[in-house]
Amino acid sequence: MLREAGFKDIEIGAAIDTFGGARGEGNAREFDVHGFPFLAWKTG
Amino acid sequence: MSFEVMVDPETLREQVKEKYREVAMNPRGNFHFHTGRPLAARLGYDESVIASFPESAVESFAGVANPFSLRSLLEGERVVDLGSGGGFDCFVACMQVGPKGHVVGVDMTREMLLKARGAAAEMGLNHVEFREGLIEDLPVGDGWADVVIGNGVINLCADKRRIFSEIDRVLRPGGRIQFADIANGKPVPEEVIRDIDLWTG
Repeated sequence: MLREAGFKDIEIGAAIDTFGGARGEGNAREFDVHGFPFLAWKTG
Repeated sequence: MSFEVMVDPETLREQVKEKYREVAMNPRGNFHFHTGRPLAARLGYDESVIASFPESAVESFAGVANPFSLRSLLEGERVVDLGSGGGFDCFVACMQVGPKGHVVGVDMTREMLLKARGAAAEMGLNHVEFREGLIEDLPVGDGWADVVIGNGVINLCADKRRIFSEIDRVLRPGGRIQFADIANGKPVPEEVIRDIDLWTG
């Protein structure tokens, strides 16, 4: 999606268990949902 | 989630607004996600920074990861925060860019804007401001920002193409986006994507 929008040098960090222990944990586990940090650059 | 618009954007927006109004007014409510200091610690924010903030600046934090983990901001940078909520990530950004920088938080929920402005005043920060608006139509000039940040917000919007187009517009050439969001490792059926309740918990 970022690449399609024209961004470059895209980095994705390690997955975080965002919902572990929260009420939404069941849905998160069902669809393997995690939080991620993203970094991308606009062309100069 | 799919790139296509699969739900009514206006209906989704109203439900998201209602959910985060609740997070602003009752941050210790029973939500499907964690909030506040325990969440910030879980996501790996610098504990000394979290500890230095007043409760009003942290309690309504509801992010999904740490947008500063891949790269810190630089002194003097101009920053836009998409869906700034109670302001927590803006305040972290303020610490990193220092008084020569400037941070603009954009949010559509008035209760969150009021809370963020109150916390900024309590912290004595003069280089952050909070503007009411949609991230699909950012109240920021073309090429103003060095960096756009966001945390758990893009996934709550139906039209992601529009959002990335806006991010591109407000960033200067060579600027960057550093954001946190959720992603699913297993395919989500179309009928689930169309269920707006699941977008907001």
